[in-house]
Formats: sequence, C-alpha cells, structure tokens
Amino acid sequence: MAAPRYAQIQIDSQKCQTPFDCKRCLQGCPQSVFQVRAVKVERGRETNPKEPGAYMLFAPYRDKCTGCNLCIELCPVDALTITFPESGTV
Amino acid sequence: MCWVCDAYGDPEYGNGRWYLNPKNHSRQLYTLKKPGQKPADYGSDPEATAARSVAEIMKTRFEDPEKFQQLVKEANAMKEKSPFQIGQVVPIQEAFQVVDMAYPVASMSCICRLHSRAHEERNEHEYSCTGLGVGMFKWERWPERYKGGVNFMTPEEAKAWLWKWNKKGMVHILMTFGGSYVGGICNCDYPDCGMIRHRVDYGIITGCLKSHWVAQIDYDLCNGCGICVQRCQFGAIKFEVTMDKTNIDQMKCFGCGLCETACPRKAISLIDRMSLPGLREVW
Repeated sequence: MAAPRYAQIQIDSQKCQTPFDCKRCLQGCPQSVFQVRAVKVERGRETNPKEPGAYMLFAPYRDKCTGCNLCIELCPVDALTITFPESGTV
Repeated sequence: MCWVCDAYGDPEYGNGRWYLNPKNHSRQLYTLKKPGQKPADYGSDPEATAARSVAEIMKTRFEDPEKFQQLVKEANAMKEKSPFQIGQVVPIQEAFQVVDMAYPVASMSCICRLHSRAHEERNEHEYSCTGLGVGMFKWERWPERYKGGVNFMTPEEAKAWLWKWNKKGMVHILMTFGGSYVGGICNCDYPDCGMIRHRVDYGIITGCLKSHWVAQIDYDLCNGCGICVQRCQFGAIKFEVTMDKTNIDQMKCFGCGLCETACPRKAISLIDRMSLPGLREVW
C-alpha cells in the first residue's frame, strides 16, 4: 500500500482578511480541517472580527482533508488552493 | 486503576475519584504561590501552554511520523505535573456532584467551537461551556477566552443547564488547567471539540480520559428503537440489523451516559468500569 498523500492547503492571507467574520470554509468543511485564531490580541480587549488581519485562518487538520474542494467553492475571495503532492512529500 | 485518581484522589471522598476529592476544588490550589517563586509550573496561562504542547505534537506528524508516535507516547505516559490538560468524561450524575462541590459555577463560551467553526456564543442562552472556581471572577482579563463575559449560576441553575446540553447530545468532560484543580465542565461533541478530536483521531488520551463507568444494555428490555445510536459521539453503539437490537462496544465506550439518559425503556445502565476485569486498565 502506498503511503498516504496529505493535502497541501495554501491560504492566501492577503485575500482572506476577515476569516472569523466570513467563516464559510470553517463551517462548511465536512472534515473540520480549518481553525481560526486571533492574531492581534490585546490584554483586556476583545479582538474585532471585522478588522482586516485581526484573525488568521489555519488548516491544522489537513491530513483529514479528502480534497472535496467544498471550501474552494464556498470561499468568496478565492483565497484557497488545495494540492495533493506525490506521497513522501509533506 | 485510573492514574489521575492514583495521583489526586482520596479514598475517603467519593470512592477515591479525583474530581470528588474536595481538595481539588480548593481555592488555595488555584492561587497558591510560594513566596519569591514564580508560579512557574504551568506558566501564566496553563491553557495556552497545554494547547501549545499539543500543537507541537500535532505539527510533527507530517514531518516525522516516528517522532510523532514517540511524542504521543510520552504525552500518554501521564506523569504528574504534565504540561497537558487532564480531561475526563463524566456521566451527568457525577457532573451534578461536581457542581455541588465547586464554587462559583458559571457558563461561558466554548473556545473549541470558537476556533474550529468560528461559532460565537454571545449570551447565556448560547453559552455551552462551564467554568468552575475563582478564576471566573477574573474573566475580564482574557476577553478572547471568555467572549461576552460569563454567567454565574446557582447549583440548581447549573444542573438544569447541564441537562439542557445533555438532552441535545453533548458529552460532559471535566477539565483541569494545569495541576489537579477542576476548572471546568465542557460540553463536547465530535469533531468541533479539540479534546475528543485529539483523542479519537490522533491518540492523545490525556485530554479526554474515559469515565469510571461503561454502558451496558439489558438485552431483554431493548426493543431496537435505535435512539441511542445517534447519541453516541464515539461510535461505540451499532444497530444490529439481523438481531433487531442495538449493541454497545464496551471497549469503545467512554461511559458518558448519553445513551442511558436517552433510552425510553431504561434498557441501558452504567456499570463501574473497575468491576470489569478487561476494562480496568482501559482509560
């Protein structure tokens, strides 16, 4: 059996500016591959979800990605690309 | 034997269960600092420390699968003073006992669903996580964690509130945030809960230990209605078509008791894990 092929998920953070406010890929992914984190954290203040660049999108569970491309269809700003490189590469 | 009970339990209280030991609800534990020493054991934000240690393990699984296996093994070696959060599933009856012992009890927003699904819980009708202990008085310091604040509850309100989530099908998981202080009762499901996910998908068991109970079906009482099948978050219950009955795999069972509270014929009961020789070391 060949080694598993893991998805490479590229997130263009220039295009994806307010992932927490948009949340379409986060909630639409059947495998729950994505996570969103606040990157501008100020002590004692909540981060504004509508502020560009305040939150960032990650794909920490990309080994669960099946390549269904639902997130790409859902993304309103075309920030996502998914590739499946040959096995052996990470 | 449950290693957390070994380390933090007291045979005089609650049958030796660590979360029924009043010492683990003591506010002294929460604030105790030795003079001249930093509370360096777990850092200023134990939850973030624990999250980082798990994140580091998770990162290695692409680059070095062998190292990943090694790190998971180390994480599961379960030492005291481990940087990982200890989590243990409890059935709702024991969650009630914990709510009776802890003070204060507050509901708040769930951090896992905030990260994994960007799901915002803005008020007490939406909150799905329970915080226990004096840290709840200081929530303004971490508004990212406690979005919208916290809602303090009496034990009776807390029980009604836990029932609400139990009916919806959430598993109750006790959480520590460094040390043995029982800091919260999460209401979790798969896959948006980080603890269940790391356990079921990646084998990191410390954050989601199985409970002290396992579910057992009374074969004669079960009429095969199948209501319990959809309640199980761990895939332990299957419907046996030819027998027209449901079957619980006790090896997979986490003992959360969700199937027990849903069964209309009271055919499912929870039995003590320690009474089954084959399951005594399965946590």
